[in-house]
Amino acid sequence: MENLHLFGVGLALGLIVIGAGLGIGRLAAAAAEGIARQPEASDKITGAVNLPLFLLEGVAILGEVFALLIVLMK
Amino acid sequence: MSKAAEQSHTAGGSVLDQVGENIIHHVSNSSLDHPLIQLPHIWGIDLSVSKHVLMLWIVAVLVACSVIIPIRKYLQQDKPQPKGWMNVIEAVVKFIRDSIVQPNVGSKHVDTWAPIILTFFFFILFANGVGLLPIFDILGAFNRFILDIHAPPPGVEDHNFINSLLHGGATVTGNFNVTAGLATITFFAIMVAGSRTHGFINHWKNLAPPGLAWPVYIILIPIEIIGMFVKPFALTMRLAANMTGGHIAILAILSFMAIFADMFHSTVTGISVALFSIPMATAISGLEIIVVLVQAYVFTLLSAVFIGMAINVHH
Repeated sequence: MENLHLFGVGLALGLIVIGAGLGIGRLAAAAAEGIARQPEASDKITGAVNLPLFLLEGVAILGEVFALLIVLMK
Repeated sequence: MSKAAEQSHTAGGSVLDQVGENIIHHVSNSSLDHPLIQLPHIWGIDLSVSKHVLMLWIVAVLVACSVIIPIRKYLQQDKPQPKGWMNVIEAVVKFIRDSIVQPNVGSKHVDTWAPIILTFFFFILFANGVGLLPIFDILGAFNRFILDIHAPPPGVEDHNFINSLLHGGATVTGNFNVTAGLATITFFAIMVAGSRTHGFINHWKNLAPPGLAWPVYIILIPIEIIGMFVKPFALTMRLAANMTGGHIAILAILSFMAIFADMFHSTVTGISVALFSIPMATAISGLEIIVVLVQAYVFTLLSAVFIGMAINVHH
């Protein structure tokens, strides 16, 4: 029972991956569809996708950092 | 490898206990009580040189020799014609200036802000890349197996320069203090950008655009102020966590060999786990190379975006 926090961390990491995967997947799908409709706008679409992509990834990484902190500091 | 030297170094405990400590040991700084070069305290700040400070200097020298000095020699020619390595530098500088700095900052201020963005990019790229090279691990293995210098018995800590040099991680951007320093530069750069374009007071007034109903301001201003601090904090944590996380993943996969060998008390199990462990560690190292490039690009891009947001205030 004293390792209950590990169970919480495992659950948290799974949820983080689900959240990040869903969000980034939707971004990628929208970008691919946009490029398919208008191939000449591909540079602009890539530029527009870049920023939210890395912000989302940053959020996921921050979550993982806090999860690691919970494991290490009990 | 040096892992064997270190496992005879820590006192007792099963392999599982030692592995966790070992991994953290490999990504963090050298021991702060026993730095590489002991320097005096000035006004309460300990100036001693730890492993990461030494790596900062090494990365700085590397960037100077690879980027700064060739650019200076190139600019001193009569008719500058790039050749060889200068072509690469020119391509990178052009890419960053035209697709990162200029769309965000506007063509009027490109020459003002391009240098700091380029500095960020080259420094973070080189710092991340140097962290991937296992120079000190190879030196440790060389020490242990060829020169046959054994680790001292557990309990006796031998803290000379070489020993401290071999312990601790080489990724300087994995230390969140280093990335916090870089993010602080961005924090002040945002304020300087806004103040130079709009005037000092107007920069703060631009946080809350005019023409909104007054209850919105009560929520908007605290959110903007918090956002002002959260953006550099996110920059810090993003870079540090990405770098550390990649290294921890590689080390954890390599530690499977030791863990499985200990769990089943047989060397054959350990060696057969190596057939899985080493290709996987290689694949993740390949992924790490991509992460190195991407994280340098992202830090640079986000700094340029934040500076651009302070200069062109259009929501």
